[in-house]
Amino acid sequence: MSRPGLLAGLRVVDLSMGWAGPLAARHLADMGADVIKVEGCVRFDWWRGWEATQEWIDDHGAEKNPAFNMVNRNKRDLTLDLSSPAGSDLLKRLVAISDVVVENYSAGVLPKLGLDYDVLSKVNPSLVMISMPAFGTSGPWSSYRAYGSTVEQASGLPHLSGEADYPPTMVHVALGDSVGGLNGAAALLTALYNKHRTGQGQYLDLSQSEGLFPLGAEGILAQAVNGEPPERLGNRSTRHAPHGVYPCVGEDEWIAICIRSEDEWKAFAAFAEVDGFGHVDDRLGRVEELDRAVADFTSGQVAEVLMLELQQRGIAAGHVSSGLELGTDPHLVARGFWKLMERDHVGVLPHPAPPYRVGEEPFDIDRPAPTLGQHSREVLTELLGLTDAEVDDLEHRGIVGTKPRLDS
Amino acid sequence: MEQEGALTGLKVLDVAGTIASGYCGKLFADHGADVVNVEPPDGGFPTRREPPFIPGVAAPESSALHAYLSTNKHSVALAVESEPERLAALAEGCAVVLDAGRFDCGDFSTAAPDVVVSTITWFGRHGPYAGFNGSGSVCWSLVGMVRNVGPEEGPPLVPAGCGAEIVGGLTAYIGTLGQVVARRMGNTGGPVRLDTSIHEANLCFTEVGGVGGYRSGRRGKRLGINRFAPTYPLGVYACADGWLGVTALTPRQWKNFCLLLAMDPYADEPAYQTAIGRLMDYDTLEPIIRQRALKRSAAELVDRGQALRIPLAPVPTMEELFGVDQYVARGAFAEIQCDGVAFQAPVTPFRLFANPAARGGRVAKLGESNAERLA
Repeated sequence: MSRPGLLAGLRVVDLSMGWAGPLAARHLADMGADVIKVEGCVRFDWWRGWEATQEWIDDHGAEKNPAFNMVNRNKRDLTLDLSSPAGSDLLKRLVAISDVVVENYSAGVLPKLGLDYDVLSKVNPSLVMISMPAFGTSGPWSSYRAYGSTVEQASGLPHLSGEADYPPTMVHVALGDSVGGLNGAAALLTALYNKHRTGQGQYLDLSQSEGLFPLGAEGILAQAVNGEPPERLGNRSTRHAPHGVYPCVGEDEWIAICIRSEDEWKAFAAFAEVDGFGHVDDRLGRVEELDRAVADFTSGQVAEVLMLELQQRGIAAGHVSSGLELGTDPHLVARGFWKLMERDHVGVLPHPAPPYRVGEEPFDIDRPAPTLGQHSREVLTELLGLTDAEVDDLEHRGIVGTKPRLDS
Repeated sequence: MEQEGALTGLKVLDVAGTIASGYCGKLFADHGADVVNVEPPDGGFPTRREPPFIPGVAAPESSALHAYLSTNKHSVALAVESEPERLAALAEGCAVVLDAGRFDCGDFSTAAPDVVVSTITWFGRHGPYAGFNGSGSVCWSLVGMVRNVGPEEGPPLVPAGCGAEIVGGLTAYIGTLGQVVARRMGNTGGPVRLDTSIHEANLCFTEVGGVGGYRSGRRGKRLGINRFAPTYPLGVYACADGWLGVTALTPRQWKNFCLLLAMDPYADEPAYQTAIGRLMDYDTLEPIIRQRALKRSAAELVDRGQALRIPLAPVPTMEELFGVDQYVARGAFAEIQCDGVAFQAPVTPFRLFANPAARGGRVAKLGESNAERLA
């Protein structure tokens, strides 16, 4: 088995760092594109580590972050000091024989390096290039520093979740990143379809904060059509009851239950022996009393077992999983979702399959994330025609390398 | 001259009618594809019954969510189960059929030999949960999204809205368009059934935690509202005039954050030079940050903080969102026309400069294209 060749023949230069950009490029890599990640030995991907010390470097800390390893699988890695004329020139030569560039530098970095779209599109007129900063490439916030958390904050979505008396409530440590990555992949494929239809390359601009708006569409649209946001109800619903997260046997064990029809309610009430509640209007009107009755029942149940019992009766229910349990989730295991792969410095790590597949088997994963500069010589000699002596010279000058260096 | 959409020439049928298929189809439609919602004649797609509803507009046209998902699409009312021949005729030359598990390639491949039947379901077509009844709260609970959100004592908090379905639809768009691009590149051909699991799509939020749990053998702990390991300070703080979003991750950002809030004695404290070190001393630092933020203007703190390269942002309310300078400048919202009523909604978050997506657009009434498409 090997990864599918859907995008075989497509070469992607991945200048991005962190989560969002590399995830966008990962989707192309998972479909068979040749994705070459370009980092510097000083300006390496900050997701390798943002608190670098010499001790951390000596301990191969730059190779150990599981998050970095996850979003950079199926890629090759080239180190180039883009601030040097030689590094900049080599990047242009690589772009000239590539189809796509992905970048998420802060605004101004690539223009300062002389490597923005205006320059690179002259090197390769059919280039598809995406910039995916937090707030897009235009507007008063275009140069703002941001993480995935900042993106969630600025999207306004924290005003939709939580109870009415909570402060605006965030729902993830970096919500914007993964959605930004998905939007980046979507944007690139949209432009690639057009390129293969018309021969035309182009520049793409993704605002990660705007990318979160669809996730809050119900709230945004409620404001738009009613002039006010929806009520904040915590885990409850305006239309369904029971609808919540209820305690189960054990420490911090919970189950989510969502009943959306009278048939589901009848099945639940019979199984749980919860009496005295009528149609959904009655249940919604007495929702606190209802939730107490449901919690009385669930608190004597084992979450995973109750989920199966309720699902057998057609009721939407799921136990509240932790990261630890994802690796042994019977559904994910049966679907071959996790692939264990060995990599230098970290040993064996599970990798998630792409979330789309043909048939029962997931798309295979060829290789784990590259180590810093792992493929520099291979890329420079095989793709750009440098001699080994020329690569040796670049290494000697610190333009390429395989070890991080602290910014002096 | 109006520029052509990037996906001009592609034909897409949506026979699923879910939020996920609707969002997937919306991305195709807003980029120029010919997208047809094939809806049940008795009431249309289930999305037509999803809130919020547009005041003054009668069912089945009243759902603002359906309208948002359906801009620039066509609507045909057809009982697909009882009229397979008319469905097959409708699929003539189709690149994509969006499905929720009812159809296979054989239903369309005569009319559309390279069709991608893109099936989007909560848990995929195979595996122990394949027949499970899904919902956003169930999906996000199972992927570990919920566990670390909410008050320390519980219950864990489910994010509001239909985000799980939107992420499923966005992911299906990637997988589906990958297949379409591959056909265009000559890398593959023939009919194919693609299977997207909304559950697995939403694991993009937590796959890192899954690996972390695998390595550590420990379950994560819920720390409280707006508290997430390993980053601190990270959260939403009340200010004199609104809400401030804060993230200070690196040592330099922490030092500058201390400078911004006049917390100089804490700037160089060795234990506070890592995010996790600061999180460990949350009880000391949090009251100070809260108290100092409350006396200041959020807008001023964002301006000064960003000048110091600290990732700060305002946290606009829904009412404020449409007027935020950044979003106004970029035209992040545009008008949707639905049954004679206009309202603002988000535009596609990515911009193709040579082939921009449609901004807003008109929403077709149920069965509006029957005469044209089923003739």
